[in-house]
Amino acid sequence: MSAMVLQRNKSKLYRELNTVVAIAARDITLVLKSPGMLIMSLAMPIIMMGMLGGNLAQNMAGGLGFQYGRFMMIGMLINMLFMVTTMAMTSLVDDHETDFTQEMLVSPVSRYSIVVGKILGSMFGAIISMAGTLVVGLFMGITLSLKQLFLILALSPLMCLSAGALAMIIIGLIKNKRTANLAVMFVTMPQIFLSGAIIPINHSSGILLVISRLMPMTYCLDLARAVVYAGTPEYGGVVLFNPVINFAAIAALTVFCMIVGTFGFARSERNR
Amino acid sequence: MSAIIEVNDLTKRYKNAKEPAVNCVNFTVEDGEFFAFLGPNGAGKTTTISILTTTLAKTSGIVRISGFDAEKEARKVREKVGIIFQKPSLDPSLSAEENIRFHACLYGMCGYRPGFKLMPAAYRNRVMELAEIVGIKDVLFKPVKKLSGGMQRKLEIIRSLIHTPQVLFLDEPTQGLDAVSRRSLWDYINNVRKRNGTTVFLTTHYIDEAENVDKVCVINRGKITACCPPEEMKKSLLRQELILNAEDRGSLATELSELGLSYTLDGYFIVPYQGLSAQQIIARLNTRLTILKIHEPSLEDAYVEFLNKTGGKAE
Repeated sequence: MSAMVLQRNKSKLYRELNTVVAIAARDITLVLKSPGMLIMSLAMPIIMMGMLGGNLAQNMAGGLGFQYGRFMMIGMLINMLFMVTTMAMTSLVDDHETDFTQEMLVSPVSRYSIVVGKILGSMFGAIISMAGTLVVGLFMGITLSLKQLFLILALSPLMCLSAGALAMIIIGLIKNKRTANLAVMFVTMPQIFLSGAIIPINHSSGILLVISRLMPMTYCLDLARAVVYAGTPEYGGVVLFNPVINFAAIAALTVFCMIVGTFGFARSERNR
Repeated sequence: MSAIIEVNDLTKRYKNAKEPAVNCVNFTVEDGEFFAFLGPNGAGKTTTISILTTTLAKTSGIVRISGFDAEKEARKVREKVGIIFQKPSLDPSLSAEENIRFHACLYGMCGYRPGFKLMPAAYRNRVMELAEIVGIKDVLFKPVKKLSGGMQRKLEIIRSLIHTPQVLFLDEPTQGLDAVSRRSLWDYINNVRKRNGTTVFLTTHYIDEAENVDKVCVINRGKITACCPPEEMKKSLLRQELILNAEDRGSLATELSELGLSYTLDGYFIVPYQGLSAQQIIARLNTRLTILKIHEPSLEDAYVEFLNKTGGKAE
């Protein structure tokens, strides 16, 4: 027998934090072990920022009253966080298919710790894609200052939490990988246009306005632009809401999606 | 001993199912007991285990593990149990050790570190000790997808025991294992039982694995049809017999008849004990025997007989 004995830590908070770290670390390990996932994370910015964004910048940028390149790049950075985090969250469906969710759900930890760990793990791939977007932006002559970059990075965990919480609503309902991928596309693609990632939404109205206001990415984008454009004459033309409103809306939508999504996920696993 | 698992009127009806998978089931398992839950495919074994381990919601009834309600105090129940699922629940992309590390962290056994060498010495020693015992030390750092089915099963056993659970649920744990692996695995589980007093709840299709259990419960079509020690089940269903043969078969037949011992002929003379012991029967025979066998019914014989009698389907 070992001289030192493994003993369970009695602190509930420590155990929950440890769970979050372990689950996030697992997802990071999986990305690092999968060259395909790393390549995809880096290739996405080339398609989204280089091709889609570049084309829009060349053909639609006139008469906006602000420099479109920077506007679009911030949109793409946040879109990358949302898109990659949401896609990575569907690995929970993979885990369901390989029965690995059973291993997590039978452990004595909060279901919220499992979900938060999963989201933070998914953030890793999202940050890689964000870095890729910055590099593509650099080639396109669009840059951010170090301060702006740091502030966006500081906000990114909140934005990833928001994206992951939204993804949980889908994952709570779907248990098939192919359907989950379709559902993710169904959510992420309209967000690019409706939340103002690449097209200003100052003049949206009717149902499109309602949908855009219900999307967490709208507020994440606006908060990021508020940070980047703070103190510039373009601020009024680019930013829609006060940052405090953005922050409150992100928090409220994230908490709502997190509670509903986690409840749905845990319930769908137990109630068959 | 006190009951560590209490199941009262447990019923589970799956969505859109016509019949309940588990129907008003009652049983108890004592602390430290080795308990076998047997039944044909689709009888309700895995459904019951899933409810007991809190991974499946029940429709009605009460389940208590170690005094905690499996629904209202699910987290406390999860602290007490370990499980080896019927289907492997490993992450195939992680290494064997990474799977164990992940599990140990989820159960609060140690803080997460991004490498085996960075983990606490107590964890490293325990993992190496368990890997040595079950014979997977050489493949500990290989990806799970490169391990054989047997190796994966052994890995699951290490994982389920790393947090020293009070109750260990084994849902067909040796499925797909070769004979040597099965034996080494049972040796280890029996050692754990003796050393830690772990209660073991087993479902299996290899009935011989349940031969040494303290109590057998047979479930069929969602209902418990028997719950008793295996010896009791054997006694109530089967008889002990002597299998005899002689060169002079006529003489043996006459002698058995004169002694008032009935027999059946199935190539050999099959002689039930009929209130006597094997030794008493043999002592009374003068005919020179060429074959003498004592047939002790196995649990498998009793199980098959029981399912046949109760209208179940024997595996």
